[in-house]
Amino acid sequence: MNDYEAVIGLETHIQLNTTTKIFCACKADSWFDPPNTNICPVCTGMPGVLPVLNKAAVEKGVVLASAMHAEIRPLSYFDRKNYFYPDLPKGYQISQYDQSLAFGGYLDLPVPPANGQPAYIRKVSIHKLHLEEDAGKTKNAGNERLIDFNRCGVPLVEMVTGPDLRSADEAAQYLMRLRQLLRWLGVSEADMEKGHLRCDANVSIRPRGAAYLNPKTEIKNVNSIEAVRSAIEKEIERQIREVEAGHRIEAWTLEWDEDAGVLRKMRSKETEADYRYFREPDLLPIRLDDAWKADILKALPELPLVRRQRFMDAYGLPEYDADILTSERNLSNYFESAVKAYGSDPKRVSNYLMNDVLRMLNESSKTADQLRLTPLFLAEIIKLADTGAVNTSTAKSLLQKVEESGKAPAEIVAAEGLAKVSDDSAIRAVCLEVLAESPKEVESYKAGKVTLMGWFVGQVMKKMRGKADPTLARTILEELLA
Amino acid sequence: MELCDIPAYELSLLLRQKQISAEEITRACLERIDAVDGRSGALDSGSLTPEDEQKVHAFITITRESALNQARAVDQKLAAGDDPGLLAGIPFTTKDIFCVRGTPSTAASRILANYTAPYTATPVTRMEAAGAVMLGKVNLDEFTYGSSNESSAFQPAPRNPWNPAHVPGGSSGGSASSVAAGEAALSLGTDTAGSIRQPAAFCGVVGVKPTYGRVSRYGLIAFGSSLDCPGPVARNVVDAALMLQVIAGADPRDSTAANVPVPDYLAQLDGGVKGLRIGLSPDYFRIAFPDPQTGEYREQPLPVDIETPVLRAAEVLASLGAEIVEDVPMPNTRYGIPAYFVISRVEAASNLHRYDGVKYGYRTPQRTGDLTKLYRQTRNEGFGLQPKLRILMGMYVSAAQYSAQYYQRALRVRTLIRRDFEQAFDRSGKYRLDALLTPTTPTTAFKMGAVYGDSVLMQYADQLTVPANHAGIPGLSLPGGLDAERLPVGIQLLGPDFSEDMLLRIGRAYELATQTEDWRKVKPLVLR
Ligand SMILES: [Zn+2]
Repeated sequence: MNDYEAVIGLETHIQLNTTTKIFCACKADSWFDPPNTNICPVCTGMPGVLPVLNKAAVEKGVVLASAMHAEIRPLSYFDRKNYFYPDLPKGYQISQYDQSLAFGGYLDLPVPPANGQPAYIRKVSIHKLHLEEDAGKTKNAGNERLIDFNRCGVPLVEMVTGPDLRSADEAAQYLMRLRQLLRWLGVSEADMEKGHLRCDANVSIRPRGAAYLNPKTEIKNVNSIEAVRSAIEKEIERQIREVEAGHRIEAWTLEWDEDAGVLRKMRSKETEADYRYFREPDLLPIRLDDAWKADILKALPELPLVRRQRFMDAYGLPEYDADILTSERNLSNYFESAVKAYGSDPKRVSNYLMNDVLRMLNESSKTADQLRLTPLFLAEIIKLADTGAVNTSTAKSLLQKVEESGKAPAEIVAAEGLAKVSDDSAIRAVCLEVLAESPKEVESYKAGKVTLMGWFVGQVMKKMRGKADPTLARTILEELLA
Repeated sequence: MELCDIPAYELSLLLRQKQISAEEITRACLERIDAVDGRSGALDSGSLTPEDEQKVHAFITITRESALNQARAVDQKLAAGDDPGLLAGIPFTTKDIFCVRGTPSTAASRILANYTAPYTATPVTRMEAAGAVMLGKVNLDEFTYGSSNESSAFQPAPRNPWNPAHVPGGSSGGSASSVAAGEAALSLGTDTAGSIRQPAAFCGVVGVKPTYGRVSRYGLIAFGSSLDCPGPVARNVVDAALMLQVIAGADPRDSTAANVPVPDYLAQLDGGVKGLRIGLSPDYFRIAFPDPQTGEYREQPLPVDIETPVLRAAEVLASLGAEIVEDVPMPNTRYGIPAYFVISRVEAASNLHRYDGVKYGYRTPQRTGDLTKLYRQTRNEGFGLQPKLRILMGMYVSAAQYSAQYYQRALRVRTLIRRDFEQAFDRSGKYRLDALLTPTTPTTAFKMGAVYGDSVLMQYADQLTVPANHAGIPGLSLPGGLDAERLPVGIQLLGPDFSEDMLLRIGRAYELATQTEDWRKVKPLVLR
């Protein structure tokens, strides 16, 4: 392997999460609907129908293009891509060809350290970025071929990277970062299993350090990031074996068989299909004037990788924390709000989030913005713990109580009498009580088994239902046992 | 005079005065259809009888019952004192290239013969909303591909009411012949290269090709999507204006329909032509075509019978106060047909992709386990000669290796043709025309069978009309007289974008000024 490097480009299809389809008013998401229920004359290609552009699809495309640092064209066109297939009811797909919504762009992909290699940034260029409509689905049922047109006309962005990725891991990282970005921007659900994010991979190998490109194969039908990783790994291994054996790599199209974990040859790609592209005469060009563009981009959030870096720089968070806290936009917003409300030590807030709030999110499958434990409440609880008003274990249980009740932490503390007891005499009385009830332990302690101190403190805490200041209890116990 | 021969605007008046009922009008039209139309076009309809050769055969589908119901609904509204709409009770026919919910919408092709539309085209919806009564769907060239109606898969094809041995023109032949024969007052046609204006000229009626985008294309089974314009066919200019008023305007279902306000066409109709500048161009008084052997352009003057009515119209308009501007150069007119050949066929081939036997329409009865075979058999059996020719040429000239040479070049020619018009109509230019006056067609209606099959020659029948489609500008054809064989001659007015009001006004002035001329008294042969 060391003699070769892999050259990988990814062709992704991203389903935009608009309410309606790109050229008609049908519902776009049909995941839970029976076949052929979200259809109309337009998306089933009846004679005489015309497409009408859904502006929301353009807007989401512009947001994505901008996040990928792509150049957005003020004037772009739709074109017809002509071919026959039963799931393509018009016999052409409305797509964009030479003057698409955007061009260029890149993603600075952070690649984590692995196998003794330090972390690095891989710059992944974007070759193509355009809007198009999805086709339907066909499936075989006995002797018949069934067609579901629900997906026809669902808006897609096709985004193609340059041949910039160098390993299966990098490809997987790219897809993870892309998925994170799409959800962050709110332009796609980006669920590969549901086909919101689809990926074909072009793979070739060459001697390490070479600048030329060898013939590539195209891997289709990969439905998860893990599958993309495995399929590319397998294909790189195969190509190396072929080359080592003195064979040529031929430009095949391969299909990933998920169950068997193997690649199968779909067809040889001798000639490029001629789609006879020409301008779609039924649609006007997309005129993206400055006002519209500004309006779309005013909602563009800080990008996840930028925020990740900022969390490290501005808050002094370790990369690990920053990565997790920016994995999802709501979570990172939550963190920042909590830090702001708390006023100091972002790492302390991060610890609470990473340990407790994340578990809460996982268990409830809520997003951070849906928590009743608001960033303000979280900050308040941490402060209560800081000032010693409640002890640490009370603070942790408060998190759950606030989330369940939606009440302010102070209110719960007052109502349930959870405040830490720092009154010397009250604790002293309980301490005496405990010592009186435990003559054996007192004897052992005095005989030198000082580790029993923890047990005595625990007994005091138990009697006071956790409210005692454990430090104070320890001091009193030490005094009494001296 | 029978009700079915009375102009729509007069019928409208009589109806509102309660002198007649909508049902009476509809019945009069249905009786006329029974008298002159003969059997409707159908697939595999056998050979023509001598009787067939005397009939009009405008229809594919007659919607007798729904027409009578629509008419009765209008009468009820009138009785109740409700506003029944601008076209209340006016019977019209629809070219069978429009989808109308619940009716067979065939495009005159075997491949759609069994297709019943689940929705209605916007212009038809607007006609019906205005109270117009649809009598049925009329015949056309298959998918509108032709200038004679002979290519329809539904035979007998329409014949010219002025002489049934001649073609009615095309592709809106059923529209023009149904209106000329008094079977309906109005018809909804389409014009891609002259398909409204040429049959209107051949049948002695008025045809309007509106500005591209003036009338919604939603529901129009597409031919050349960048050229197709729905428009009115009527027996006089006022009726055409009435109908355009109803069907024009923006449509949320067609993004290429213009968001330009629709003027009141009737209010300005009698404004006269005083001070208007009307041009004549030598490029519209000859026909130019490439020699099939050498490729060199050859020119041929137009027949005197075609030229004379146009020059006479210019005199009439001059006498009414218009200024006639001669020798306006329109040098790119000659490239209209070749550019049209390329552009329309690229679009047509793509537009025909959807007829694949999978979803609707004809599917080969031969069982085949192979998808490609299903496509091939279906399309081979379902399409007639004209669609096949267009598919072949369209596929060829849009192929990656030829596209620059043909398609991209044709698009540039189109820009040049548009520029000719822009210069002629430029308000601060040399000519400053309000309209260009031309012949509509190079010949009058030819005999059935005389030109059919020679696709190139048939296309040159559109030479004087196709430039307006390339440029997107409006055109109006109206009767200008009769030739020696007593066949109608059309004259055409072309104007800048959205100048339909101006063209209708000029047309109306000419129509009024020539109202009493002898040729206007001659009736079509089938009505004599
Ligand atoms: Zn739809």
